[in-house]
Amino acid sequence: MRLVLVILGLVLIFPALPLGRWQAFTLDTAQFAFIATALALSWDLLARTGQLSLAQGAFFGLGAYAAGLSAGVLGTIPALLVGAGVAAASSLLLGAATLRLQGIYFAIATLAFSEVVRTLVLKAGFTGGATGLPVAPAFGGGWALGGYYLAAAVLILSVLTSLWVGHSRLSYAQAATRQGEATARVLGVPVVRVKLVSFLLSSALAGLAGGVYAMKALFLSPYDAFGLGRAVEALVIPIFGGLYTTLGPLLGGLLLVALETWLRLEIQDGYLVIYGLILILAILFMPRGLVGLFRPRAKPAQEEPRA
Amino acid sequence: MLRLRGVSKTFGGLRAVQGVSLEVQPGEILAVIGPNGAGKSTLLNLISGLLSADSGRIEFLGQDLTHAAPEVRAWRGLGRAFQIVQPFPEMSVRENLMVGALYGTPGTSVQAARKVVERVLELSGLAGKAQHPAGELSLLEDKRLELARALATQPKLLLLDEVMAGLRPAEAQDAVRLVRSIRDSGVSVLFIEHLMPVVRALADRVVVLDYGQVIAEGRYAEVAENPKVREAYLGRGA
Amino acid sequence: MELLLQTLLNGMLSAGVYALVASGLALAVGVVGIVNFAHGEFLMIGAFISYLLFASRGIDPLVSLGVAAVAVFLIGAITYYGLIRPVLSAPELNQMLLTFGLSVLLQNLALLLFGADTRVVSPPYQGSTLSLGGLSFGGVPLAAFVLSVLILLGLYWFLGRTRLGLAVRAVAQNRLAPGLLGIETQRVYLLAFGLSAALAGVAGVMLSVMLYASPTVGFAFTLKAFAIVVMAGLGNLRGVLWAALILALAEALVSTYVPGGGGWVEAVFFLVIFGTLTWRSWRRA
Repeated sequence: MRLVLVILGLVLIFPALPLGRWQAFTLDTAQFAFIATALALSWDLLARTGQLSLAQGAFFGLGAYAAGLSAGVLGTIPALLVGAGVAAASSLLLGAATLRLQGIYFAIATLAFSEVVRTLVLKAGFTGGATGLPVAPAFGGGWALGGYYLAAAVLILSVLTSLWVGHSRLSYAQAATRQGEATARVLGVPVVRVKLVSFLLSSALAGLAGGVYAMKALFLSPYDAFGLGRAVEALVIPIFGGLYTTLGPLLGGLLLVALETWLRLEIQDGYLVIYGLILILAILFMPRGLVGLFRPRAKPAQEEPRA
Repeated sequence: MLRLRGVSKTFGGLRAVQGVSLEVQPGEILAVIGPNGAGKSTLLNLISGLLSADSGRIEFLGQDLTHAAPEVRAWRGLGRAFQIVQPFPEMSVRENLMVGALYGTPGTSVQAARKVVERVLELSGLAGKAQHPAGELSLLEDKRLELARALATQPKLLLLDEVMAGLRPAEAQDAVRLVRSIRDSGVSVLFIEHLMPVVRALADRVVVLDYGQVIAEGRYAEVAENPKVREAYLGRGA
Repeated sequence: MELLLQTLLNGMLSAGVYALVASGLALAVGVVGIVNFAHGEFLMIGAFISYLLFASRGIDPLVSLGVAAVAVFLIGAITYYGLIRPVLSAPELNQMLLTFGLSVLLQNLALLLFGADTRVVSPPYQGSTLSLGGLSFGGVPLAAFVLSVLILLGLYWFLGRTRLGLAVRAVAQNRLAPGLLGIETQRVYLLAFGLSAALAGVAGVMLSVMLYASPTVGFAFTLKAFAIVVMAGLGNLRGVLWAALILALAEALVSTYVPGGGGWVEAVFFLVIFGTLTWRSWRRA
């Protein structure tokens, strides 16, 4: 908790640090890191209910396109809210249809959803289709650090949401739903509603992050905004950092994006290799993530067979 | 307070529960007994809503709950402890109880839930283990947790599925005392049990199931003398 | 009318390869109980084996079929030993994430090694066609269909008639009992997972001629295989044949009759998955 606040403090004063000629580059990288971390925190919010979503990239993309299309008319902040709203509304539709599904079925349904949405965006006329969509910079480009603080704001909002949910009564319901759905229901936990609320929060934040990304990238294409890479990033970061925590995705996101940026400088295609590798290694050797390494608590590694 | 009318459930071709009617009075402890495979656990799942009945009607406190979701039944005051204990393994004992206390009765504030949890921890003898991970308890503690979590939902009727199974006689006696004190605090109990001494000690009334049907009903002594019951229990083993 | 017949024929021919890939996935799901997101990457490896052998030595894809089957079987077996076995008793979420990680890893390794280009294996007979009563068959798709049917028949024979095959089915039907019966569950898992990978690898060789080899070619087939397996019901091998046929026909019909159909073909699968899953979830509720 203290570490979380320290990191957020650093995020705020970062542009004031004397970084010399590296400043433009590091600030740029930091923005992408904040956006990716916010997306990861949003994914973790749903993961707390035990649902593995592969649609986080779709909500990110929907938010990006909705904000990108409306920014010219509405201005920066309202456009971002529209992005979050579109993502949240589509999560309600997807959730109503699929949140009764468990495990693999839900994961596949979200994957299918992502692909359908991407196809729609490719085929629709007003999105620019395969050519892509140019987006105006945040605040009309008039404020040099505007984009930076927008990304920082989304990150901070995600962190606060994650902390708030983690300390609210919802956290009990989420953990119970994840660890034993039938038991949770018998105890009075409305699991479908819990999942839906988590899904809604999760996708709204993802949509918001997507909007900020659109205004930073200045150009959207269906392959980029809806790329599977987004969904991969969104889930590898929390697993690497520590699932179901706030500090985990925060640390994991900042570290992994730094690593990714360095790798991208070295190799063009295939930098996602590192995500695949980290995902495998983390599952095999570090199931509680970075955070788990520093907080060794006596917890059962696996459920023992019961009589 | 609980009333079942002609409740039936079929799996594939198997009629697990057929036209069962029974009633639990306020303040009563009712035992449901019967040979293995008689449909006892299915019946409990139908009452708590994990299964939905093919036909018949389930009323609780005058309300029709036949098609209500499990959580709705919990909110109305049906508490349930499972035969195979199912703690939330990554949570502590206290957190397990918090789930029941927070969500079992709508409108419970976090403060109120904390108070309920502390009371239940004392009552169930788990106070010393409150911070312990629920995935690492002994069998006896598991059973207590299962019961305590159901109690934390502040039920009006408690459904117990063979909670004594696997306990030593002394432990079972403790459990019997615990269930009595729960009843004395105003909670009705419907329990399934294999151990006849427990049934005799606890039950005000006994319902006997065989092949999914009620074959006898009454006080323990009456039921134990019933020829149909004796045949159901002895006839098949022999 | 002729267009319709031709469309249905094309659909039927592609159903063969779909059934092959999906049967592999169904084996992994049904026997080992692992949902393998990296299934398509085994296919991708098969396609690249075919391409590399053809490009460097001019080896005919028909020969590569055997090479790929053995090589990908081994890769599958190694994957089982190194990665799957350790998470067999872990939560389902971890299993899915692990295979998902493997998929990402293999896909991007291939990107690193070969770049994003698509590569086609073009043996002399690639463009051959046969005509029959106004309908034309592509020689390669027809051959791939026949081969797929033969391989699937072989698979059914193996599962239905051999001792080992019966052991596999016993394990699939009950995860616990075979251990008690003394059948070595672990060996069966190994075999099933290797077979599952090999089926995908063989399909990859066929696709290297019919479609192309590329790092991302497998992913689309993972999704299609999932669609088929989900539609058939997890682990139901016989249902896979029907589901593959229905999906391939639907795909062919959309591609012929929907304007701009090419781009919508992908969506067909996903809508079917979506529809099936949603329908199931509500029926159960």
